[in-house]
Amino acid sequence: MPKVIVDGIEVELAAGERINGIQAAQRAGVEIPHYCWHAGLTVVASCRMCLVEAGTRNPDTGDVTMVPKLVPACQTPATPNTVFITNSEKVSNARAMVEEDLLIDHPIDCPICDKAGECNLQDYHFKYGQDQRRADIRPFTSRKREMGDTVTLFVDRCVMCTRCVRFTREISGTSELFVINRGSHEEIDVFPGYPLENRMSGNVVDLCPVGALGDKDFLYKQRVWFMRKHDGVCTGCSTGCSISVEENQDTVYRLKPRENPHINQWWMCDEGRYGYHHVHSDRRLTDVQRRDGVNWTLIEWSQVVREIDERFRNVGRVAVVLSPHLTVEEAYLLGKYAREVDPQAQVVLGPVPVEGTDETFKNGFTIHAEKAPNRRGVEEVVTHFMGQVATLDNLLISLASSEPTAVWVSGGYKSNWIDAAAADQIASAAACLVVHDTFDSPLTEKATYRLPDGTFAEREGSYVNFNDRLQSVPWAIRPPAGVRVAGSVYWELLGEVGLYKSRRVLDEVAERIVFFAAAAEPVGPLGVDLKTPVLEATPTA
Amino acid sequence: MAVLTEEMIAAIKDYFPRYPTRQAVTLPALHIVNERLRYVPLEAVVEIAQLLELAPAQVQDTLSFYGYFKQDKPHGETRAWVCRSIACALRDGEQVLEHMCHAAGIHPGETTKDNKLTIEFAECLGACEYAPCMLAGDVLHKNLTNESAEAFVKQTCSGHGGNGQAGSTH
Amino acid sequence: MPFEPVLLANINKPESYTLRVYEAGGGYQGLRKVLKEKTPAEFIEVVKSSNLRGRGGAGFPTGLKWSFLPKDHPGPVYMCINADESEPGTFNNRILMELDPHQVIEGIILSCYATKAVTAYLYIRVEYPTCYQRLQQAIDECYAAGLLGKNIAGSDFSLDIYLHRGAAAYICGEETGLIESLEGKRAWPRIKPPFPAVEGVFRKPTVVNNIETVCCVTQIAARGVEWFKSIGVPSDPNNPRDPGSYGPKLYCLSGHVNKPGCYEAPLGITCRQLIDEYGGGIWKGRKAKAAIPGGISMGLFTEAEFDTPLDFAGPGKVGCLGLGTAAVVVLDETVSMVDFLHNSCRFFAHESCGQCTPCREGTHWSLTMLERIKAGKGRLKDLDLLLEIGDTIGIIPGTTICGLSDGAAWPIKNAIRKFRPEFEEYIKRTNPTGYMVTEAVNALPVVALH
Repeated sequence: MPKVIVDGIEVELAAGERINGIQAAQRAGVEIPHYCWHAGLTVVASCRMCLVEAGTRNPDTGDVTMVPKLVPACQTPATPNTVFITNSEKVSNARAMVEEDLLIDHPIDCPICDKAGECNLQDYHFKYGQDQRRADIRPFTSRKREMGDTVTLFVDRCVMCTRCVRFTREISGTSELFVINRGSHEEIDVFPGYPLENRMSGNVVDLCPVGALGDKDFLYKQRVWFMRKHDGVCTGCSTGCSISVEENQDTVYRLKPRENPHINQWWMCDEGRYGYHHVHSDRRLTDVQRRDGVNWTLIEWSQVVREIDERFRNVGRVAVVLSPHLTVEEAYLLGKYAREVDPQAQVVLGPVPVEGTDETFKNGFTIHAEKAPNRRGVEEVVTHFMGQVATLDNLLISLASSEPTAVWVSGGYKSNWIDAAAADQIASAAACLVVHDTFDSPLTEKATYRLPDGTFAEREGSYVNFNDRLQSVPWAIRPPAGVRVAGSVYWELLGEVGLYKSRRVLDEVAERIVFFAAAAEPVGPLGVDLKTPVLEATPTA
Repeated sequence: MAVLTEEMIAAIKDYFPRYPTRQAVTLPALHIVNERLRYVPLEAVVEIAQLLELAPAQVQDTLSFYGYFKQDKPHGETRAWVCRSIACALRDGEQVLEHMCHAAGIHPGETTKDNKLTIEFAECLGACEYAPCMLAGDVLHKNLTNESAEAFVKQTCSGHGGNGQAGSTH
Repeated sequence: MPFEPVLLANINKPESYTLRVYEAGGGYQGLRKVLKEKTPAEFIEVVKSSNLRGRGGAGFPTGLKWSFLPKDHPGPVYMCINADESEPGTFNNRILMELDPHQVIEGIILSCYATKAVTAYLYIRVEYPTCYQRLQQAIDECYAAGLLGKNIAGSDFSLDIYLHRGAAAYICGEETGLIESLEGKRAWPRIKPPFPAVEGVFRKPTVVNNIETVCCVTQIAARGVEWFKSIGVPSDPNNPRDPGSYGPKLYCLSGHVNKPGCYEAPLGITCRQLIDEYGGGIWKGRKAKAAIPGGISMGLFTEAEFDTPLDFAGPGKVGCLGLGTAAVVVLDETVSMVDFLHNSCRFFAHESCGQCTPCREGTHWSLTMLERIKAGKGRLKDLDLLLEIGDTIGIIPGTTICGLSDGAAWPIKNAIRKFRPEFEEYIKRTNPTGYMVTEAVNALPVVALH
């Protein structure tokens, strides 16, 4: 195996693999600090923070020849027998120099900076900087400049890494950001009248290694060290970006993309990023209610599940509508319950919201028009029970001619998803109508039982994106008082005891439904591709 | 209202065949506009960007890198660059610049009220054998003295010809 | 002595910039001969064997540079001519372009023939309007006379030359900064590799040559390698890698001398010879104190070092960066080194492209310190800080992409190391109560900084 040596630690390279010094060091467990380099952007090697010593080892004699000058690790390919030294005095002096340089005109306003606590400038200075300021102290300025609706620039905090500029040129392809002026007068700017307004704009905040680009949605809301991160999947569209849900005490403060080379790389779109506010909307349903004539009666969760179960069994005929916002496990459980009560139960896919058309960016990142995270997963569950993808329209047709039927409609939609006419149609055909949703809709008004459901941040389970990649994520926050997330309700309906565990359900799904076979193995943070493994698993003999 | 005239647009388009990319015409286009308007207003940047199939930000990025193109308002009818680099500084170039600015009643980088003259400092003009020197429009003014500089200011601002000359010229 | 000028042979003739006068003096004969008798590869060998080294500042062997072009590239190959002569003290390119543009163009055609380039961009600084006009006239004359365009002088070789004006930025003289600027971007030098010969302007193989270099090519074509190698300083026999310093060189002399000007002399004359024999000695009967050996980037000679030969190896032996552009600026005994260094630091702070942190902030910080020292708020500690900056920024220690900050560093290092007592005396005299302060101090308020 070809090897690279970082501080004496040997790192193996795969054949033909092209990585740089920073990446090779990461594998050796060595951090090489850097600002301008980002794996998703072109290499500019301008911040000079990643300076290291480099050389080559003669594979025959083992002799090492070093380059006399420092080289940027980001620009130096880790080819076989490359030697990197990152812990010499020369290297630490260079790091201290760059840190000192970057702070010459930096306002050092960490107390009011959103980035404090996750700032490379802070962290690197703490680790590699000097403990004294030697530079002439200028009167600090702390200027703000609006980049667009989503992002504010704190001009003087910038270290001119130009990641944000490269992002708009190389990834979004919209080129709104640019560097103005020259030398130490340089700043990031937008052209007057042409603000940063592409649908991926929030990513520049993630890319900013310091506190220069602030996310207006998050600005001054929470100190980052109070937040906990939970793996999540963006439920904004069928791309299914891997994200982190960041919360403190059950309040979500922001969503961030989580690196996933199979789906979103390092990015997510603004719709997804800022599409969490409904989680804390005061219009959310929180009461469990039963219609008694024209009045609603508040009842307890402990009572309502058994009551509904009894009524469903009494009616005998059952239909369930599986929302594309449900997880695979939830969809499966509800379908399973329906078939348990009524072996001919109708299991159909709920409406899939579509807005506009797909938008693909310069680097290939696509925002899908399909605004639900799990159509593919639910479709496969529906197919499992019905033999084909049955939809709400199919159900309405069959309800018109069938015996009285009890209908359970699952929701989880971010906003109103059904119009009054369709709601009327369902309500008039249903002998008993249960609507389990997050917000009031024309349908909840006509329901027999109105149950409050959780949002994506409260669900645990798996989603299958447009490309048949399944990701399993835990819940990030506890639901508000009164709300029960679909999975745990179905769990109880099926008579299971104890806490709802989505993984146990997924095991059953993977065993019963071939499409999900690949999910039988533990699903890692990057998810699992449901297409290829099945083909590979097909016996060839 | 378009800032670029048909003539300017044609002049810019003349440069297209010279380069394999449109972006390479950025500097020629900026010069074309600057020669005619004595500045490159933001509206012109937008129009140039359209011609070159770029975002205005990309043109502005390039433009602002060079200290050459003014954007707020046109420079004076004569733009005088007085060298302040070492060879001229050794022969009192900076004092001449100061004297000249005093005579014109402006600071370096400013334009006289009558819009006749803009005085700026320049880094080495590459005429060190004639230090201290000044480039006014296309004319190189050599071996400046306080007197010749003052005479130049008077001549330029009194309206007799935009490229009034002081000192020896070639 | 005296040396018979070759590169400058034409400039004193009336209308020296016209094709008529140039051809009357034997111009374009070398080109016609090469086009007829030599293949491009053969002509590269000619230039290689002449040991011609680039005159732009780095002194890289020209023929070798050409031979780095990939052999089997489908093309096109581009030639960029660097006429962004911005190094303080330097004006030889201006004289060549203004007074002998056809010598330049002949050299460009020859260089393009050798490298099989079919388009040459001549990047000329905006501060040279007369050169721009003269060159454009000369190019127009050449097209009319069949010396440019299709089938030059009846050969199979075709070439277009386009002038491209800069916009006042020193960094465009760095070859990859020039390439970026030519492409319409901010002139931030590129990281290497890839080198321009492999991937240059418009992502194609590119050669960047200086004006004086291509004029030397013209003369080599006309007069031969023997002639060229009969001038200058031969290679060091103890150093097989030394290509020597052959050929005539244009020395720019300015500052405190009686007769400033551009003088052609064999490579290797000493600084003192240049000042005394060509420049008529120091002005006003004064003594010299120091001199810049080759543009301000190269550092400083003290008067005692004036006997250093001005060849590619000489200045390095006394702690200067190199020969650079061979532009000698003389400082007489009245010059304050604080003023000199302030001027130098101001230049580099103004011209740093701002890409690499150490250069952007280092040049800016050193200017801040010099402004403060000049204003009577200096500390002895500042000198050590300045030296630390000088020793750590640049392509030589590896902390920057291009050599601009080496140029910023050398004046700092040479001035303070060679004239430290003067700096210390100045600081103590102007800041008697504060010169020993060691903690950080306030910078002066910013007043009219551009």
